[in-house]
Amino acid sequence: MELLDIQGSAVPEQSRTHIRIPFELQAGADRMQIRFEYAPKILEDREAALDLLKESYERYILPEQREQAIARADRHLPLKNLITLSLDDPNGYRGACHRHDPVQELFVSREAASPGLMSGKLEAGTWIAMLSLHCIVTETCDYRLRIRAVAEEEPA
Amino acid sequence: MSWIACELHTHTLHSDGRQTLRELAEGAVKLGFGAIALTDHNTMSGLAGKEEIEREFGLTIIPGMEWTTFYGHMVTIGLSEFADWRQGGRSGIDRGIAEVHRLGGIAGLAHPFRIGSPACTGCFWEYEVGDWNAVDYIEVWSGTFPSIRTDNRRAFELWTAKLNAGYRIAAVSGRDWHEQEDTDEPISVTYLEIGEEESAVGGHSDKLPSEERLIRALGQGRACVTIGPLLTMTLEAGGEIWPIGSAVPADLPGTGGTAPEAGEAVRVKLSLDFSVRAELWSLPGQVFKLKLCSNRGEEASLDLPAAENIGRAGYSGEDLRRLEREAELPGSHTAAPRIWLRAELWGTVRGAYTRIAFTNAIYFDSEKEGGGSR
Repeated sequence: MELLDIQGSAVPEQSRTHIRIPFELQAGADRMQIRFEYAPKILEDREAALDLLKESYERYILPEQREQAIARADRHLPLKNLITLSLDDPNGYRGACHRHDPVQELFVSREAASPGLMSGKLEAGTWIAMLSLHCIVTETCDYRLRIRAVAEEEPA
Repeated sequence: MSWIACELHTHTLHSDGRQTLRELAEGAVKLGFGAIALTDHNTMSGLAGKEEIEREFGLTIIPGMEWTTFYGHMVTIGLSEFADWRQGGRSGIDRGIAEVHRLGGIAGLAHPFRIGSPACTGCFWEYEVGDWNAVDYIEVWSGTFPSIRTDNRRAFELWTAKLNAGYRIAAVSGRDWHEQEDTDEPISVTYLEIGEEESAVGGHSDKLPSEERLIRALGQGRACVTIGPLLTMTLEAGGEIWPIGSAVPADLPGTGGTAPEAGEAVRVKLSLDFSVRAELWSLPGQVFKLKLCSNRGEEASLDLPAAENIGRAGYSGEDLRRLEREAELPGSHTAAPRIWLRAELWGTVRGAYTRIAFTNAIYFDSEKEGGGSR
C-alpha cells in the first residue's frame, strides 16, 4: 500500500533546512519500502562552482592561504547537492542514511533494515520522514520520496 | 595504570564509510588499537553485532555517533541511546551537548576547522558555544599525518586558547576513518589511561577495557596523543604525584598557583615509551625536543638525541623500551599564575619540523575560583 509519494524542488536558499514529512502507517505492515531520489547531483557549471568555492574560502580559510586554496580548488570539485533522509517511528528515531547516493532504495522491517536504518517493530501511527538539505548548489534540485507498506502475503 | 591505544573517529557503510564493522575492527587490530569508537554519521545502526566482533578481535568498540549537522560535526561517544542531532540552529548546540550528557555520553568538536559547505557540508564548526565548560573534548588532530595540516594547527590553537581561558577540555586525534586503504602516512593514536583494576571487564577469559572506563578517562582528560612513542608525564607537588588530567590544589607548596611568594620549583617527570605498537611506527634519528608548555608559553625544552631510528627496535638502536627525564620549573607568582601544563615531543618527520606527540593538561586550581569546570 502506498503511504506517500511526494515530489518537490529545492533551491540553494533552502540549504541547511529540514523538510519534515509526517505519514500514517496502519497496523499489519511487515515491511516498509522507501525510495528516495534527487537530481541533479552535480553542479556542472565550473565557473559557478569556482565562485561558490571562492566564497566559502573567504569564510573558512585563513587569508594567507586563500590564494593557494583557489589554485588547488579542483580538489573540491565537482560540487554536489546533498540531501539525506532520516526516519522516526511513533516512539522515536529509526536512523539516517547519511551518504551521497542520489537514488536510495531502502527498507525497514522487524528483522532487518537498510544500513543506517534500524530494524524493529513497524508500529502503527504517525511516522516522520525528514529530508535534511545539507547543501543545494544547483539552481534547483528535484526530489521525490515514495514510501510503501508491504504485508507478507502481498508481493513486494 | 595502563594506556589503551584508541581510534576515536570511524565510519562504516551504515553512513558513508566503505567498510563493515568487522572490516574496521580487523584493520584496527592490525594497527595495534585496543579500542575504537564507532561514530557513524547520524546513526547508531552500525553497532548491531558489536559484542561478537569485540570478542572475535579482542577490541573494545565504544558506541558513538557523529552529529553531522549544518553548522558543525560533533563526535559523541558513550551514549546509551540516541540524542537528536536535528534540533536547533547555530546557537542551539548547548542543549544538544546537555542531552548527550544526560544520556551518559561525552561530546567533542570534530575537525572544527575543516573547510565547510559546499566542499564538505557542515564540516567547519560554526556553532556558537554558550558554555565551553560543557565541551568535553576537541579533535585537534584529524586524518593521517595530522600534525602538519593547517586546519589541525588551528584546532590545536583553539584548544590552547580555551585552556588559557581556564576551561578544562581534553584533546584527541581522530582519523575520520572511512575505508580500509593502505597509507604510508604516520597514523595518530589517542592513548586513554585506565587503572589496572579497571582494565578488564567481567570474569571472562577475554579481558577488554570497558567502554565506560575509557569514556571516563577521556572525560577527565587522561589522554595522550602521538604518531610515535607514548609521551606521558606526572607532576610532583606537596609530596604527591599528580597525573595528566588532574587538578593540583592551590594551597599546595610549589605548584605554580597563586601563592603570594614565588613558590618552590615544580618537578615534572616525563616518560617516553617506545615499545607501544611495536613495529608499527618509526622515526628517523635526530635530536628530538621535549617541551613543557603552559599558559605562560614554552617553559622548558630538553634535547633528546637519537643517533638512529627510533621505533621498531626501541630507542636509537638500543634495546631501550622507556626513557625518563625530569624537568624543574620555577614556581610562579601572582602576576602570572600557571593554570595548565602539558608536554610535547617535537622533531622532523618527512621533512617537516612538527609535533610528534603531546599530553593532555595537568591543571592548577586558583585560590579565587577553586578551579575548573568539572
